[in-house]
Amino acid sequence: MDEKRNAVFTICVLSSILLFFTLADLFHGDRLYSETENRVLASRPEFSAAALLSGDYTSDYETYVTDQFVGRDKWIDIKTKTDLFLGKRTINGVYLGADDYLIERHLPQEYPPSEAEEKLELLRALTDRWDAAVMLIPTADNILTDKLPACAPYYDETPLLESASEIAGERGYVDVFSALCRHRGEEIYYRTDHHWTSLGAYYGYLAWAQTMGEEPFAYDPAGMETAAGDFQGTLQSRLNLKWPADSILYFPETMEVTPQITYDGTRDSQSYYEESHLDTKNKYGFFLDGNHGLTQIDTGYDRDKTLIVLKDSYGNCLIPLLAPHYGRILALDLRYYNGRLFPLLEQYAAEGDTDVLVVYNCVHFLEDFLYY
Amino acid sequence: MVFSSVVFLFRFLPAFMICYFLAPGRMRNFILLLGSLFFYAWGEPVYVLLMLFSTVVDYGNGLLIERWRGQRRAAVPLVVSVVVNLGVLGFFKYGDFLVSTVNSVFGTRIPLLRLGLPIGISFYTFQTMSYTIDVYRGQAKVQKNLLDFGVYVTMFPQLIAGPIVKYRDVEDCLHSRRTDVTAVSRGIRRFCAGLAKKVLLANNLGELWNQVMDGGFQEMSMLTAWLGILGFAFQIYFDFSGYSDMAIGLGEILGFHFPENFNYPYLSGSVTEFWRRWHISLGSWFREYVYIPLGGNRKGLPRQLLHILIVWMLTGIWHGAGWNFALWGLWFAFLLILEKLFLHRALSWFPKAVGVIYTFGVVLAGWALFAIPSFTELVSYLGAMAGMGGLLDGNGLYLGREYLVLLVIAAVGSTPLPHRAVSRLEQSRRCVWTALFRLGEKVIPAALLLLCIAGIVEDSYNPFLYFRF
Repeated sequence: MDEKRNAVFTICVLSSILLFFTLADLFHGDRLYSETENRVLASRPEFSAAALLSGDYTSDYETYVTDQFVGRDKWIDIKTKTDLFLGKRTINGVYLGADDYLIERHLPQEYPPSEAEEKLELLRALTDRWDAAVMLIPTADNILTDKLPACAPYYDETPLLESASEIAGERGYVDVFSALCRHRGEEIYYRTDHHWTSLGAYYGYLAWAQTMGEEPFAYDPAGMETAAGDFQGTLQSRLNLKWPADSILYFPETMEVTPQITYDGTRDSQSYYEESHLDTKNKYGFFLDGNHGLTQIDTGYDRDKTLIVLKDSYGNCLIPLLAPHYGRILALDLRYYNGRLFPLLEQYAAEGDTDVLVVYNCVHFLEDFLYY
Repeated sequence: MVFSSVVFLFRFLPAFMICYFLAPGRMRNFILLLGSLFFYAWGEPVYVLLMLFSTVVDYGNGLLIERWRGQRRAAVPLVVSVVVNLGVLGFFKYGDFLVSTVNSVFGTRIPLLRLGLPIGISFYTFQTMSYTIDVYRGQAKVQKNLLDFGVYVTMFPQLIAGPIVKYRDVEDCLHSRRTDVTAVSRGIRRFCAGLAKKVLLANNLGELWNQVMDGGFQEMSMLTAWLGILGFAFQIYFDFSGYSDMAIGLGEILGFHFPENFNYPYLSGSVTEFWRRWHISLGSWFREYVYIPLGGNRKGLPRQLLHILIVWMLTGIWHGAGWNFALWGLWFAFLLILEKLFLHRALSWFPKAVGVIYTFGVVLAGWALFAIPSFTELVSYLGAMAGMGGLLDGNGLYLGREYLVLLVIAAVGSTPLPHRAVSRLEQSRRCVWTALFRLGEKVIPAALLLLCIAGIVEDSYNPFLYFRF
């Protein structure tokens, strides 16, 4: 009798779990976008006989049901916690490092030398023609090696940087790697995000000034101001766990002279910093309003020279620091800029004294550096 | 449709079970057939016709064998059944393999067929063949009801990845079967255990194997190579035995009793024993329908060794159309022959542990053959396992640390220890332990189910290995 009662209990509990979530899921509306996963979720596929016969309909439907499953974020949370419980220190391509550092994982095999060679050829063509300065910024795993989990593999960026320094030459290569290494104990990378901090960018800036033979502007790292104290960056999103928040800091000196900024030729602004982003998930967009293909800046400083920066998002917090050295800065994000590069550079060079600077983190350089 | 998916657990399964158990007894086979066809057509909207074709052909063959019983022409439908089933299997599974082999040997350029492999074809063709053969031999009664026969072939619990159920094993249940709450509850618990094996263990261990493979074969250390192959060995075991558990559990809920498919194979003391404990339903199929009809061990030792060679060649290529699978079969044939000749006797002089270590070692080497299709990569992987690339490296140490807990759970889980511990608790005389058992019995299946749902919804990595077969 006891056995029978137990059996009924098991049946009731387990089938009501399935039934409960089935019903909850059926009455649960669809979401377009997942904030936590930072991606568009699959929507209900269109039915057609052709799609059914090819098998696309059913597989799309499975993706749709899985993406829209009730409580998806909670389930992912449980899964992550199970993984942690099982002793994993890598979740979703993110290393859980020491001192609460989340560090993006880049495996050596993901970056074969042949692809690096292609990108370096593009870089060579650029430096040969335009005498461009090159700032390739190592990712956090290459600098904060002591924070990585023991023996964690990472793509070693030093051979890439060596090649880049040969290409750019002594007067064009900015040795950010050594500069950041000297300050590896400081807050040069965010703990929850893959970007460098304003402080990291400041050390990069000093290295740049030294290479270019410029007198560095007197920024005061001790006087940095806090824009937001509750920054949970992209790496925290990939874990989706509660994590100690980062602060976004900036140098108030960059506000002393008001710039005129035009984003993609359409939107104007009088500040390097856009506070509206501080209310969203992507708070790093605070710097230069996130990613724009073409950003034109009149710095307000009385300088003749123009700087053209080819950059990824690492450049966004560096560019305000460069302003005192140029009257005009043009920032190009080649992922979003569709025009041809060399004619544009020629046009600016014809107007006056123009410098060209390449600012990428090493991994973005390998993945995204491409121009026409 | 796979069992470890949102669509199965939260759409198909509840809808099917509600319809099935609300329906009166005589309607249930009809609902089971419809449900199974839907289940199969979900993944194979076109090839479902092929399965129906195979079903109808063997239904007809069975009837003809019965009608012509005692006459010589009764062999005709038997031959037709074998030819049609092997023909279908050969065409869809081995067609391109043969074409590309011919092309590379003779330098011809015969175009490839490029047909997708119909899911589960290796399983259902073997099942229907077993039916006609058994009817011909008089070991099973002919099935006159097409509905019942259709249920046998298409039944969704074991349709796509086994166990390979012989017709006579379920003959009686097809017509009338009974189930009660204890059986249903046992079935549900078995299903949850299988799901957990698949989602919580196999999927995660598969990631270990993938990471080792991704690291490249050059300069791989011994540690990394062994971690990788251990990961694969446990992945394939928990994947496949988990699937069998889910199939057996679902069968139990419906009132069927499917044969067990695994019996702690990694504790086998010899390769001979391993094949009695790994994928039992396949091994017994080959024994019954190939090895024994060839003459088994009754025709002298040389013939027996030849039979072993044939059966394990076939077992190898049953797993996939590729030379590495044939090689894998040959590897076991070689070991089995050695054991028949002297090794088995030699092993009996040592404690059982020696045999277990030997067996696990050669099985792991076998998994390398199984998992790595390219010959040059295979050679370098086996070299790494032998220590050619050094003992340790950072990658190996990192992965070892990362997967240590899972590997320990997997190792313990592939022995009868957990099962024994549970029985000890249940039968303990101290009521603390029995109370703990009672509590665990109620809580653990539910907890596992919830963790599995999390794993499935997260769904970064969820392949069924036995789908390719």
